[in-house]
Formats: sequence, C-alpha cells, structure tokens
Amino acid sequence: MDAALPLRAAPAAPADPGLSPAFETLFRREYPRVAAIAQRIVRDADEAEDVAQDVFVSFYRKHPADAGYAAAWLHAAAAHTALNAIRSRERRGRRETAHAREFDRGVDPQGAALDAETRSEVRAALGRMDERAASLLALRYSGLSYDEIAAALGLRKSSIGTLLSRAEDAFRKEVTR
Amino acid sequence: MNDKSVEQLMSVPDAPLDGERALSRIRERIEREQIRPHTVVGSAAARRQGPLVSMWLKGVAAAASVALVAVLLTASGVAETILTIFEPKQVVAVPITSADFTSAAGFGRYGTLTWSVPPKPYDVPDLATAKKDSGLTVLTPSQLPAGVSIATVRYGVMPRTTATFTFSADITRQTAASVGRTPPPMPANIDGSKLFITGGPAVVQFFADGTAPATGAGASPLGDLPKLIIAQGKGPTVQSDGVTVEQLQQYLLAQPGISPALAAQIKAIKDPSSTLPIPIPVDMASSKQITVQGVQGVFVGDSTGLGSAVIWSKDGMVFGVAGTLSEAEILAVANSLH
Repeated sequence: MDAALPLRAAPAAPADPGLSPAFETLFRREYPRVAAIAQRIVRDADEAEDVAQDVFVSFYRKHPADAGYAAAWLHAAAAHTALNAIRSRERRGRRETAHAREFDRGVDPQGAALDAETRSEVRAALGRMDERAASLLALRYSGLSYDEIAAALGLRKSSIGTLLSRAEDAFRKEVTR
Repeated sequence: MNDKSVEQLMSVPDAPLDGERALSRIRERIEREQIRPHTVVGSAAARRQGPLVSMWLKGVAAAASVALVAVLLTASGVAETILTIFEPKQVVAVPITSADFTSAAGFGRYGTLTWSVPPKPYDVPDLATAKKDSGLTVLTPSQLPAGVSIATVRYGVMPRTTATFTFSADITRQTAASVGRTPPPMPANIDGSKLFITGGPAVVQFFADGTAPATGAGASPLGDLPKLIIAQGKGPTVQSDGVTVEQLQQYLLAQPGISPALAAQIKAIKDPSSTLPIPIPVDMASSKQITVQGVQGVFVGDSTGLGSAVIWSKDGMVFGVAGTLSEAEILAVANSLH
C-alpha cells in the first residue's frame, strides 16, 4: 500500500501547463517560417501571427515537441490553417477590402490602393485554388527548399518542380479571372 | 495584374517579427485556456507506438482473424507438399451474418495459432522512413477530399508477419463441447497438419480531420481519430505442409453455425486460391463490386452511410482506402493513388 501512494498522487498532479524547453526551441526556430508561410496567404502581418499562434497551439496539444516531423508538420499546417482562414473570411471579403482601401488611402492614396487590390485578389485566388497547389506556392515563395516542401506535403521531391509549375499556371489563371 | 510575375504577386513586405513577443503570447494563451501539452505515458516502446498504433493493432488483429478464417474457408486445390495454396490477386465480397461471423471468427477453435513473427506495427515520422522500413513502393494520394489535410498525415509500418496454424481435433472437440455443440469429426490428415501464414509488410497512412485548427480548451476529443486511412501491403499468403485443402474446405464449411448460404457463396468463388474474400457483415454494411485503379475491387459502405471503404488487389499488393467519407470521395482518393 505504501508503494501505491505516490502512484495515486502522480496522476492527480496537473500536467505542467508551461512550455517545455524543447517546445520553446522549436518555436524560436520555426516561428519565422510558419508566420512567413501564413503571411504569403493571408497577406496581413497580424492575421499571419494569429494563424501561427493557432498552428503552434495545435502542435503543442497533439504532438511531442521533439518529434522528427515537427518542422514539416508546422509548415503544412501553416498553409492549411491560413487557407482555412481566408476561405472562412470570404463572406466578409468585400467589406474588408473596402475598409482596407479606405485605410490605405490615408497613407499613400495611389500606391496603397493598388497594394490593397493585389492583396485582395491574391488572397481570393489562393482561396479558390486546390489546397495542395496553393500550399505549394506559399511554401515555395516563403523560401522552403524542395526537400522541405516534399516533407511537408508528403510529395516526392522529383515531382515538386512539375507540381509547382502547374500551381503557378493555375494561380495566374485565378488572378486574371 | 497581368504584368506581375507570380513571384511579385506572392511577395509580401518584410514585416519585422518579434518572436519573443509571440512566444509570450502563446505562453499566456496556454495558461489562460489551460491547454495541456501532448503527453506520453509509459515506456519508450509505448511512446514510439502511441495510441494510434495500438488502435490500429487491435484492428489488425481483428481483421487478421477474420481474413485468416476466410482464406481457409475458400482455399482449395490439393497441397501434397509444402506449397503456396493462397496468394491474393483479386478481392471479392462475401456477405456474412453475425451468426456466421461468430461461428467462423474463433480461429482458435480449430487448433493453435503460433506467431513466429507477431504483428508489431509502429509509427514512423515520414513517408521516406515508411518506404525504407517496409521496402514497399508506397502509393500516395494526389487528391484529398475537402476537410482532409495532408498536414495531418501520419505513417505506420507493419513489418512482415508470419504465423503457423496447427489443426487439432482435440481443441476443436473441446471448444465445440463448451458451447454444447458436436463438430463433425476432423479427418485424420487434417489433425496435426500445419498452415504457414505470412502477411505484410504493410504501410498505413492516417489523415485526421484537418478542418479543426487549435481552438482552446474545448477541442473535440474526436479530433485525433483518422478521417481517412490508406493501407497497402503484401496480402496474406498461406502455405500448407500437406493437408488436402479441398477436404479442409469441406470440413470447415460443415461446422455448426456456418449457414448453407455462406457455404454456397464461398464454394461459388471461381478462383479461390487467388481470391481474397472480404467478409462483409450484412447487418452492418453493404458492398458492391466496383472498378478501382483499373481492376475489380470491393466497395463497402456501413449502414449508417457515414463510412465507406474500398479494397482491391493489384500487382501482388492488397490496398484499402477507408474513412468517414462518401463513396465518391473514397473512390477519388483510391483512384488518385500513384
């Protein structure tokens, strides 16, 4: 019975909700890239930061910080979560765009209006694209290597070039739609 | 827009990133929402295998038991010496009732199954390791249905597994007696004869529901259940050390509880030594023949309409795609494997 006491006590102690050193290391290493991937899609620094937060919380909850697949998982989840975010905001898209234009005009009327238009159209185009193609573009233009993209999206490295080229074609069609 | 390159369009202004501020923010959030980290209980081996694999292991054990019995029931041909009596090249659905299932499922009632290499599936971190460990050319989907994200994929490998089954008239009699039944006498040449069964290697890809990003304390407990499973492996093969398998089939089909309807279905399989029967519990699921990847396969839908699966055999490999998805979605995934 004596031996049972510490065993009983152990589960009762709440798991430490603090961040482990391994998670902090992972966060510091991967946060810039996760945020960069998200920003390629959502085109807004604050929103990209929110996406990155969600991605890391999701990883924290479900995976060990020292998992070998951590980086690949985070990169893919960044693209996926950002695409989900812009799709769910599609309904509010026009209102936001109008607001952004008004806001940007206050800073640099002509240039900012063009930027806002580009941002809005790029977001919409990515949102309409096949998820894998949109993810490929976001990962590649965030500076990930073919090896890293292959690991994140579960693709063969040898097929990345072709798929990327197709994704770019699809993207061009969507932005000129 | 036309005059801008994809690179220009995809570029974003360099925004200064404050990683430490972001880290503080996440720290505050997990404290505020009481979010618990991923925790692993138990030994290093348990950590390596994880709950997903143990769930899979249970499924494999159940499926293996059913498949072995089904293979035995359908295997035919004469095996005078050790030779392969079963090697799947195609699949066919065999509807079974729960009564049939109960009668047939207890493989142990006809003898002793000894694992020489027991099934020991384990998680691997990535596709490359899955390929390396299994030695298989692993097919991956080029198309995933909405709500299933490649970001959630996890891989499991089951190395080649071998087992020997030894028939025993005594065991058969004892188990039948324990439920008040008298089995037909086991022919002398079956008693003591052995079957050598191999399965795998196999690779399984699990995809979770990717539509639910982190939400705080109230995350769904079902969030980690696979939404889509893609499995492929060397199908079970059976070798015999001399039992006359026609007699074996005759004997097993005459067991109490095997309905005449099931016996007739099994006897009707044209090429039983290369046809893998997929037992379909009729009160729980329906099935039909479909063409998948250019070959004949079996589509199975559960009676709730929520889940479906497709199973086929091609190039010496058995494939299965299953999930809580529609028939069209499951078939699209199956046909996109490359």
